[in-house]
Amino acid sequence: MFWFDQFVNGLTVGSVYALIALGYTLVYGILQMINFAHGEIFMIGAFAGWAVLLLLGGSAIAGPMLIVALLAAMIAAALASSFSAVVIERVAYRRLRNAPRLAPLISAIGVSIALQNVALKLTGGRDRVYPRVFPTGEVGLGDFSVGYIQAFLIGSSVVMMVGLIVFIQRTRTGRAMRAVSEDRATASLMGVDVDRTIVTTFIVGAALAGVAGVLQGLWIPNIRGTMGFLPGIKAFTAAVVGGIGSVPGAMAGGYFLGLSETVGRELLNELPGVSLPNEWRDVIAFSLLVIVLIVRPTGIFGERVSKRA
Amino acid sequence: MERTRAPFAALREALHAAEERTRLPVARLLLLVLLLSVPLWPMVDSRWLRILVLVGIFVVLGLGLNIVVGYAGLLDLGFVAFFATGAYTYAILASPASPALQADLNWWLAIPVVLALGAAVGVMLGLFVLPLRGDYLAIVTLGFGEIIRILLLNVRGLTNGAQGLFNIPRPELGGWVLRSLDQWYWLLVLSAFLIATAVGRMRASRMGRAWEAIREDEDVAAGMGVNTVKYKLMAFAMGASIGSFGGLVFAGFFQFVNPSSFTLAVSINVLSIVVIGGMGSTPGVLFGALILIGLPEVMQFSETERLLSVINPAVPFADTTDWGRQVASARFIVFGVLLVAVMALRPEGLFPARRPQARLPERHESTA
Repeated sequence: MFWFDQFVNGLTVGSVYALIALGYTLVYGILQMINFAHGEIFMIGAFAGWAVLLLLGGSAIAGPMLIVALLAAMIAAALASSFSAVVIERVAYRRLRNAPRLAPLISAIGVSIALQNVALKLTGGRDRVYPRVFPTGEVGLGDFSVGYIQAFLIGSSVVMMVGLIVFIQRTRTGRAMRAVSEDRATASLMGVDVDRTIVTTFIVGAALAGVAGVLQGLWIPNIRGTMGFLPGIKAFTAAVVGGIGSVPGAMAGGYFLGLSETVGRELLNELPGVSLPNEWRDVIAFSLLVIVLIVRPTGIFGERVSKRA
Repeated sequence: MERTRAPFAALREALHAAEERTRLPVARLLLLVLLLSVPLWPMVDSRWLRILVLVGIFVVLGLGLNIVVGYAGLLDLGFVAFFATGAYTYAILASPASPALQADLNWWLAIPVVLALGAAVGVMLGLFVLPLRGDYLAIVTLGFGEIIRILLLNVRGLTNGAQGLFNIPRPELGGWVLRSLDQWYWLLVLSAFLIATAVGRMRASRMGRAWEAIREDEDVAAGMGVNTVKYKLMAFAMGASIGSFGGLVFAGFFQFVNPSSFTLAVSINVLSIVVIGGMGSTPGVLFGALILIGLPEVMQFSETERLLSVINPAVPFADTTDWGRQVASARFIVFGVLLVAVMALRPEGLFPARRPQARLPERHESTA
């Protein structure tokens, strides 16, 4: 059914946005900085997963080997992304923690531009294509059925988000992250190792984005050096719409943005005399952002007003 | 003048003395003459001038954004919208390819039109984003810039869509057509000088002090009686007006506009220029544009390639046969690394802004 398919497409895009948005919101919550290079972390994950799938046999992967290969690809992506994020944090952000507000942003933009172009150079500017290993087919009942890949993508992102919430709420490290984001100085006085907690935050956010890269690669096979840019911006938009700094907000914002880009555009097309081609989804996303922020300047789940001019 | 620590300091003091004697901005006028003379230097050929024109356009854009970001502290990531406003206004009104509103508008007459329309667009955006601060403002302005670009792409009846508008006429005044590169360069130097002077005046005025107060703390500024709404809108209007002028020059120089010239990359480049140069600093904008726009272009020169090949390092395990070309084609990587490096070494920017100070003629021991 058309509308159900659109809804599933929205959820799929939304899952990717949500996973990336979590990284933005976690880092923002702790450092109050826009980690502009986060989209490139997503891109690195996609490439790492692609490399692992090729090493394990490419399109020849089938049967039980598929599960091993997918797990390996996702773990490799999480590792590669986390490692990059740690290096970036050390090289480009750490010494700027007390610098003027825009310095870390510009540094992050620099990292983003450099990484995009390194990737473009290494690939000679040509796309790489994920091997089509995932079985095609649909699960569900009649009109209400979902492609395997989309079901897998939506399912694994939900699992990861539940895992993240448990990690933040139930573990010692998660508590340290919450403490540092609440008040860095006080947390430090209470014996929390602030540097280490910040690095952990980067690792967690990057791992989610890296796996999101693999998931998107399985769904939309073409990957390239600039692939992280637009999803990065969209995911940041999602994080802001949800209320930046808020973990449930990033998830809700991701799904909200994904659904409004797909279902919302089709709904508008139902209006008489309206015909919006696909590229208008960006207009919809950004208009929505403007409207949400004007109606509710702290975002949907906003925890605090950003007072820093 | 006995405290001459370095030749540079001696020069600065001599200039100060001259400025006080003649009551003229001697240093700035000397810089103007120096910049105007560039096309006469022997080594400067058309390639250099082309780059300098591009740098000049970005200096103009940087001066505009500097008001919004540097003075008023409003982080705008969608400055390209104003650049596009100026370029497309002239293109639509003057290009023979324009599908609507073609009016054969003269470039010089377009200046007031573009300045006014730019200010109007700035105020419109400003009204939208008045309640937003900090990063929320950044992301909404970014969205605004993207929306403008997609509109340019899709409102074909006005903008001709992806094909863009071509054969845009050059500036023409009573039969004299602005054609050669050095004329364009001189036009840009003079207009940038005028804009920089005007912006300097604004900064030293009541308006500039209001901007500074808003930047430091908006709530306190409002509490002290600063009309924050008015001055924030003024900052957007002034910045947008100057940005639109940059677009007007762009359209007249390249004689062609299409939506792919008005991407987020432009906003990011201009913001980088302002921050790398030092927020709120006018010389910072000049040097920021020279480094960030000029350097990557110069890296494409074949001389640079050859020079880099000469200093070819013997990197173990790496194929360095084509070293020069490899480095030259890596200019965007260099751009990114440059941003990181400058911020790491000088987080305040290369030329941190000094606060404006009123100097009394009696006191000769300057605090600068």
